[in-house]
Amino acid sequence: MGWMPWVGDPGPSPVGHRKERNVHGSGIRRVFALAVTAMMLFTACSSSATTAPTAAPANPTQAAAGTAAAGTSAAPAATAAPELSGEISILEKYSDPKYAPYWEKVVKDYMTAHPKVKIDLQAEGDQPVKDKLRVLTASGNLPDIYFSWAGDFAAKFVRGGFAADLTDAVMKTDWKNSYLPATLDALSYDGKLYAVPITLDAKVMAYNKQLFADNGVQVPSTMAQLLQVCDTLKGKGIEPIAFGNTYGWPAVHYLTQLNYYYVPAATLAKDYNPATGEFTDPGYVQALQAFADINTHCLTPKSNGITHENAQAEFLNGKAAMQYVETVEFGLLTDVNQGAPEGFADKMSFFKLPAPEGAAGDASYLEGAPDSFMVNSKTQHMDVVLDFLKYVSSKPVAAEMTQMLGWLAPVVGSASADNTFPQNIQVLDEINKAKGMAIWLDTVTQIDVANAYLNGLQAMLDGSKTPADVMKDVQAAAVKAKASVSQ
Amino acid sequence: MVVGRLRRFSSWLWLLPAVMLVVVFVYYPVVDNIRLSFFSWNAFAPREKWVGLDNYANLLADPIFWKALFNNIAYAVVSIVIQVGGGLVLAAILEEVVTGRWKGFFRVVFFIPATISLTVTGLLFQFIYNPKIGLIDQFLVWLGHPELVHAWIGEEATAIWGIIAMSQWQSTGYVMVLFIVAMQKIPRELYEAAYIDGASRRQAFYHITVPLVREMSILMLIITISGAFLVFSEVQVMTAGGPNNASHTLGTWLYKNAFFNDQMGYAAAIGTVIFVITFAIAVIQLWWNRGKQVEY
Repeated sequence: MGWMPWVGDPGPSPVGHRKERNVHGSGIRRVFALAVTAMMLFTACSSSATTAPTAAPANPTQAAAGTAAAGTSAAPAATAAPELSGEISILEKYSDPKYAPYWEKVVKDYMTAHPKVKIDLQAEGDQPVKDKLRVLTASGNLPDIYFSWAGDFAAKFVRGGFAADLTDAVMKTDWKNSYLPATLDALSYDGKLYAVPITLDAKVMAYNKQLFADNGVQVPSTMAQLLQVCDTLKGKGIEPIAFGNTYGWPAVHYLTQLNYYYVPAATLAKDYNPATGEFTDPGYVQALQAFADINTHCLTPKSNGITHENAQAEFLNGKAAMQYVETVEFGLLTDVNQGAPEGFADKMSFFKLPAPEGAAGDASYLEGAPDSFMVNSKTQHMDVVLDFLKYVSSKPVAAEMTQMLGWLAPVVGSASADNTFPQNIQVLDEINKAKGMAIWLDTVTQIDVANAYLNGLQAMLDGSKTPADVMKDVQAAAVKAKASVSQ
Repeated sequence: MVVGRLRRFSSWLWLLPAVMLVVVFVYYPVVDNIRLSFFSWNAFAPREKWVGLDNYANLLADPIFWKALFNNIAYAVVSIVIQVGGGLVLAAILEEVVTGRWKGFFRVVFFIPATISLTVTGLLFQFIYNPKIGLIDQFLVWLGHPELVHAWIGEEATAIWGIIAMSQWQSTGYVMVLFIVAMQKIPRELYEAAYIDGASRRQAFYHITVPLVREMSILMLIITISGAFLVFSEVQVMTAGGPNNASHTLGTWLYKNAFFNDQMGYAAAIGTVIFVITFAIAVIQLWWNRGKQVEY
């Protein structure tokens, strides 16, 4: 009921944009205006309490999970630089106590090495950071360095003129060699770099080696084989792929990779750009149909009523043989401290979602994206900001993230058998093999298109829409998206 | 004279801080929200663009808005029947029928759900409604009716009802306790006199309890109905409005438009509609109730 304390939203949905302009309005009034809209809701819901959103992050795309700190030491030395001074602010989204200590340590170490630099670090949760970024943007108070997801979320800052162009600083210097090239591609807009990657995430099919061996199935290498594997497992009473789609993004993650399999990359690039998107290629419907086939043969039925996390329990308990997961979830699957069953780490391996034979797309793209830091185009301390970001991308600092959090860093050579588990090293191989990263469909596209996919796939799973219906909605959304950027 | 004027002035002075706070944090936002609903704007486009009544026209043509409004109305109707009606009956039973230490026991049992955080309740019910391992579906299978198994909050037809049901579970005990408080203020002699005159318990309920808790009932009605139009957290925690936007309420649809879809002006228009509805309901109820106190 309405008088209950307001509880925050773990909502996983992506965010969108409308036409942006390079003009700054009167800050205070705009903050107020934003607050007003929020207040219509929040004061209404209850002014009695404002509990900070604590619900479990629903989307590991954005609220990644990692391994707990594994006894790290040896603070990496800060980069030697001329005496830098000034105060900068950073807004990131790793307030979760599991992840927060890493960024606190990075900032502290940096300030120790640069006594005249003061860094104000603000950590938020997954959802609050989206709201806060909007309020700060509207008021002209963006921090010097701020978190952003790859895709249209970042593009909004670029279109609005809020993001500094980092092309000269990174791409035209040796700095670029620190990063895996695929991660920089994912953060480029119109050929310019506006963000630097800070984490690395890819989507793969995790599987239970023991269940595969016990039931005599091999790792599939084509889509048709995957469906066969599913049928075999189902025949033996094993759930093939654990799947929970309450919040919509897990289905969209299948489509992210499937679209790359069925539609040529150039067409995708055109359609994912809101200014030119049409979504008329027949491959799109084929991708949706492929998802429908996977659903029939492999996925948990009635998945809209199951969360991704609940589905994961089935996989961890050995009742389901596979789950399509992000590599930042590997910690949950391998680390006993994070709830993985004893010995599961040895049973778990993964493969890339198998591609269909003879489809028109490019199977060498791998689904995934780096999370990133953007730089406020109005920063007063560009020298400090760049030096700090360079420090974050140095090998020892990045390696420490992998060790402390279990996440892969986008930095070349930062992961090794010394600081992470073998599955993570294999992921790096996959990423190195990939021609590029296929950014999450719900964050790479404009919000109307993303919503059409999120809702349409849920409707498909519910049986109320066909692939052709969904595509019609997506095409209509693309028209709306085009209008929104050409206003 | 001077002292009197001073005193009058000082009373205003004492009121001033409260008035200022209410004006700044309640009335100004309400008015500014209405103003904003005539603009198209978002955080990334710093200039507001006047669009007149476009946002309202879009609202009327938006099927999800109507769906959300329907969901709010469904929430209100069910909550009135179960929370207010059921809470009243439960309270009367606990006060009049149950005796001794059971009274306290049941009060606690019914009240406990209201003390659980919504996030926890949401997770709990996600399990209860889970189509694979959930209590409800397993019970249905056990009863021999596997055809009745549903992904309760995962199907467009049932999602909002699953959330509404959770709300009833959580809040009925709360309303009940407030009714118990009201009932305890009713003089016992009225009941004793009625029973001596041969009234049954049911008659005593209709002719003594119900009229004398009228004020509490009205209050509960206002709170329940306006609460139903402001529902947000329950939906956000359980389904975030899904599947396929089937379980949005006005509150979650506002939030989605403001903070995901970046359509602040449109969200402001939804906010205005919510305000008008809840304001109207409060006015109607207060007007309807004026001067109808019952005393014996």
